[in-house]
Amino acid sequence: MQTISPIIQYFLASGVPLDTVILILMLPIIATFIAFLRQVVGIKAFGIYTPLIITFAFLATNGIKYGITIFIAVILVGMLMRFVLKPFRLLYLPRVAITLTIVGILILLLLVIGGALRRTGLAAVSIFPILIMITLVEKFVAVQIEKGNKTAVILAFETLIISVIGYYIASWSPLVELLVVHPWITLLTLPINILLGKWTGLRISEYFRFKEVIKKI
Amino acid sequence: MFEFIKNSRKILGMNSRNLKFIRPYNLKKAKRLADDKLLSKRMLRKNGIAVPKLIALIKTREDLENFDWQSLPDSFALKPNRGFGGEGILVVYGKKKNEDVWIKADRSPVTVEDLKNHIQNILDGSFSLSNTPDVAFFEERLQLLKLFKPYAYKGIPDIRVIVFNKVPIMAMLRLPTKDSGGKANLQQGAIGVGIDMATGVTTSAIQGKNKFIEKIPGTRLNLSGIKIPHWKTILTLAAQAQQISGLGFLGADIAIDKELGPVILELNARPGLSIQVANLAGLKERLERVSGLKVKGLEKGVRMGMDIFGGEVEEEVEGISGKKVIGAVEKVKFIGKNGKEIEVDAKIDTGAYSSSLDSELAKELGFGDLLDYFKTLELPKNFKREEAKTIEEDLRKKYLGSHQDLVDIGLVFSSHGASIRPAVKINFIMDGTSVVSRTNITAREELKYRMIVGRRDLKKFLIDIK
Repeated sequence: MQTISPIIQYFLASGVPLDTVILILMLPIIATFIAFLRQVVGIKAFGIYTPLIITFAFLATNGIKYGITIFIAVILVGMLMRFVLKPFRLLYLPRVAITLTIVGILILLLLVIGGALRRTGLAAVSIFPILIMITLVEKFVAVQIEKGNKTAVILAFETLIISVIGYYIASWSPLVELLVVHPWITLLTLPINILLGKWTGLRISEYFRFKEVIKKI
Repeated sequence: MFEFIKNSRKILGMNSRNLKFIRPYNLKKAKRLADDKLLSKRMLRKNGIAVPKLIALIKTREDLENFDWQSLPDSFALKPNRGFGGEGILVVYGKKKNEDVWIKADRSPVTVEDLKNHIQNILDGSFSLSNTPDVAFFEERLQLLKLFKPYAYKGIPDIRVIVFNKVPIMAMLRLPTKDSGGKANLQQGAIGVGIDMATGVTTSAIQGKNKFIEKIPGTRLNLSGIKIPHWKTILTLAAQAQQISGLGFLGADIAIDKELGPVILELNARPGLSIQVANLAGLKERLERVSGLKVKGLEKGVRMGMDIFGGEVEEEVEGISGKKVIGAVEKVKFIGKNGKEIEVDAKIDTGAYSSSLDSELAKELGFGDLLDYFKTLELPKNFKREEAKTIEEDLRKKYLGSHQDLVDIGLVFSSHGASIRPAVKINFIMDGTSVVSRTNITAREELKYRMIVGRRDLKKFLIDIK
């Protein structure tokens, strides 16, 4: 076991929990990963904030399967509520509020069912990651209105994939250990992002989108 | 594989669109103008550009409560000011008798209550970027052109033209379909048809973002070969819109109204990339070709767009050099003094400085009088080459101005020896370009071509020896 970096030792001595330090050091790495997926690969997802926060919500739930279950439940309700609320022709914010309510009730039900089936892991999930995931529905509804249901589902799916990969990156122990020993590594994301920010090449997804054009020019 | 990578460099992707073109060429102020439909409408109209007429504006809830619904015409379009992607637009085509109920394209009724609700949503920002509160407006509904009737499903097709550096570089006809709900928006499933820039004739087509189609789904209507009317006007409008809006990289949406002709519907500061798929051509390549060119005027820019991106190689060269490409023998059309038009085959001869014309032909063109006069002059014979200059000057001093058609006298040395020839001023048209020529007259009847065109008259041309 290598030695913990002096600066982290200092943080710990000042009373900052190790988990918090790791999460904060991990944040730029996950954010850079998402930026890379957008600029170079062409996966859009719901911007950078949503996949990032969902990644951390996954980290905070005990076991990723519960996180994924809640995520999917939220999206399903979002899709369903669009059709249920359509005839009422509601304004945007009240519509989101109703959807949030229904999502909340459903999650509560899930927790109860989980408890009844003795799946205590689900009920033991702390409330903050759950709340984060419930608010995901607003992003979903907004995209639904702007770009339609199909795009919203695709983007939600992309967000889920990114967050799952992000979860595995952030909980990959060699990386965690590396950060504990060399916390400065996280600053490497700055030059990487400068490069990403200047990247003008085609995204990988665009090679597929323009495949026919490239062939026929 | 190598070819694939090389060709992929001709395509404009999101990253380079944003970083290399939108960022440097579409400044904040210009973008704000494009995103504000009412503002861009006003600006365009002030500059004398045709736009759909504004019927009424609703800015607040109060406006909405006090609105006189009776004042609305039978057909109109209701739009959010900052809407994007065609969202939030409601179009009605007719009104029920004695009732405040309008009819939508799918025949469903629209009541005042429905309109109020829709406007409320617009005001609340349901259709605007990032849900900021918005303004709603009613606009006159454009009349569909007969030509487009079979192609468009319940909506108005429009033509997207990309303009860069004053040059229209690519265009696409967008046809509303059943899938797109009568909206001319590719993302919603409309059809995009590529257009040949030179002629305005459609080429290949896609539906949605990248499904290639040849006919309108469910019909036997071919999508290629549609000739878009008012083509040059459309390109000129787009170029004008760029000048007015200050958007360096612009996507102008232009519709053709039955009575008004081409009108600008909308300006777009972030034009989509699917136009490349519809045209099977790369935008980046085209952008790079016109960037850095000094384009003098609107007319010139439009001309260049048509020439450079209009298919044929010959026209490309003409576009770049601004010169016409002609062959070794070209048809030349004269308009004689007597108004008579004569067309002859002329030999292009870069070995000669001035053009020369057969004397018989000159007679037909009304120069007979001059030729008769010229014969009466006393002209020196058997002179040496060294003397040519002084003789020429003497003759000019003596005779120039003595006959109205005589503009010059020249000594010409050709393979037949030296001759003294009168020169006249005459205009001719070659390959559509008019040339003011100073042509000498000589007997050429035994020669194959009745005229040769010399270097002096070839400044506007490039010669292609085929």
